[in-house]
Amino acid sequence: MKLRTSHYLIFAFLAAFTYFYSKDGLVATSVLYTAIQFALPLALAAMVGVMCERTGVVNIGIEGTMLISAFTAFFAGAILKNTVQGMLVGVFTGAMMGLLLALMAVNWKMDQIIAGVILNILAAGITSFYYRQNYSIPSTLDPIDLPVVGAWPILGPVLSFHGPITYFGIFFILALWFALYKTSWGLRSRAVGEHPSSADTAGVSVIRLRYLNVTAAGAVGGLAGAYLALEAVGIFERGFTAGKGFTALAIMIFGRWNPLGALAAALFFGLTQAVTNQLMIDEVVEIPPQFINMLPYILTIVVLAISAGKVRPPAAEGIPYEKEKS
Amino acid sequence: MIKRVISVVAVVALTALGFAAPSKAASESDCGTGKLFCIGLVTDTGKVDDKSFNQSAWEGAKAAAKSNGGFAKYIETTDPKDYATNIGQFADKKYNVIIGVGFLMAEAMTKAATDYPRIKFIGVDQFQGAALPNLTGLVFPEDKAGFLAGYLAGHLTKTGKTGAVLGTDLVPPVRYFGEGYRNGVAYAAKELGKKYPATKLIYHAPDNAFNDPAWGGTTAQQLLSQGYDVIFGAGGNTGNGALLRVAKKKGAYCIGVDSDQWGTVPEARPCLVTSAMKLIDKGVAAVVKTIVEGTDKGGNYFGKVGLAPLHDFSSKVPAAYQAKLKAITPKVLNGTVKTGVKL
Repeated sequence: MKLRTSHYLIFAFLAAFTYFYSKDGLVATSVLYTAIQFALPLALAAMVGVMCERTGVVNIGIEGTMLISAFTAFFAGAILKNTVQGMLVGVFTGAMMGLLLALMAVNWKMDQIIAGVILNILAAGITSFYYRQNYSIPSTLDPIDLPVVGAWPILGPVLSFHGPITYFGIFFILALWFALYKTSWGLRSRAVGEHPSSADTAGVSVIRLRYLNVTAAGAVGGLAGAYLALEAVGIFERGFTAGKGFTALAIMIFGRWNPLGALAAALFFGLTQAVTNQLMIDEVVEIPPQFINMLPYILTIVVLAISAGKVRPPAAEGIPYEKEKS
Repeated sequence: MIKRVISVVAVVALTALGFAAPSKAASESDCGTGKLFCIGLVTDTGKVDDKSFNQSAWEGAKAAAKSNGGFAKYIETTDPKDYATNIGQFADKKYNVIIGVGFLMAEAMTKAATDYPRIKFIGVDQFQGAALPNLTGLVFPEDKAGFLAGYLAGHLTKTGKTGAVLGTDLVPPVRYFGEGYRNGVAYAAKELGKKYPATKLIYHAPDNAFNDPAWGGTTAQQLLSQGYDVIFGAGGNTGNGALLRVAKKKGAYCIGVDSDQWGTVPEARPCLVTSAMKLIDKGVAAVVKTIVEGTDKGGNYFGKVGLAPLHDFSSKVPAAYQAKLKAITPKVLNGTVKTGVKL
């Protein structure tokens, strides 16, 4: 991984861990565990961005994708009385949102920012209008006690006892990294994102690959939405994605359009949130909570400023592909 | 920011599609003619079915309209910039009473009350410093409800560690609830002769403070994993997220806020021992009654607070604690026992 950022992030983790461990081992593991929980929805949502933009389609509709998928996942789960089926409905909804974006951005060659805004508006409108009270899912997706890992000292309580979507999500991010850099699908996708006409000349179907990736990315966004509704809390409320889909875009850029980089960036952001909470719990310093609450954002800016250097988005990002042109 | 823009655009788009929400049963054109008593309610950036203060205020408005043979209508605010516009919509149609819900709307309400001296205004959660004759602030001693919740929590905790997951402290009622809770725990500890670490108050950042249940849940988890066993969730959906997470932990208790959350968040029942309530609906109806009777003078009207029934926990919480709680409740409410919260 050619990421200088990663060194800072690892350093941040170690520093936080040492600090809290020196006080109380329980607190240290609790902070890291919480960091993973804060990070996961952001990391998954950032993957939507990575998958789309790597093939040259800008997706600012992640927020809407998550919101509407959380909505369908929750209500399908409640009506079918089956949380797992609800999750699948959520993933399917996400894929449909991806397909819609692909239709607008790839087929109709619309401005992709506007296409993304349409997704967000659509999701906000539909979920507000059809929201009903007094529905509840039979159970949330419950945490899994990992058999061997759970018994490890220190790492056990940090890594064990997360929900199924969390484990699948982390596995997926690693797999996506592998796929993007080590398989022919990945090479083609990146080529389509950088220089589509060359890819086309080489026999890669630009249109088909963009359709495929944007739709698959939508499904990942659906999973992130299902995580919020079914695993994180077990309710749906209007607008309860609370801007996570937009934060995810920043995390994608922070991670330089690299799945592992984005995962690291999300973990860093999650860590700062957990540390923020811990500062309020420990009451180390007498400062107003509003200032402590700024910490995640300030630290992100600081790390970006010292470590990011020059980031370069995929060259063909946001440009609809037209054969025989340029 | 982008989200706000989007939600505004969404509302405009949906309205254009003919989805406009509020129903118009009685005829609004009779407002201001003396024939019909009209109540208009402007929500804070939330919906009238938010299971929280907007809903409670709207229920109060509906009840007041019903008992006075009047007519009630609401406008849901999507962007704080629209407070004044939304109030103005009712004012221009000569509504008799306009209710504005939420601390954040205070400024817009004061301005409207000055501009429309013939209309009566009710500001829920809006403390009136300088009184206007036609603007009544419906405020609540949240610290007392929080104190009672904390008093019970202090008796229930086994580890001695208690915490609260809260909306932003920029909204004073949230801070009163939280600090009252903390002082209530301390009071119980002193009474029991125990030494507890101070109750932890964790506030969300001001942005999306009341609509981030995932944050509330994860933060509650952080407290739970460090041995905190009674958690107070006070901050709309953010607090509800905390309740839901505590409900999954065996042996931990949670305390709801605003209304009796036994009914509004049934998923939290495994841990929900009680709720620190403020009776907004009753308060709204009471203030409207003073207006109808012509006894209103502006200034502040103090609504009622209290603890919700223990429901299923009435058989699980030791009878001795319940008796002590029953004994201290009137003392806290009438001010004999001070909550120690700086208002």
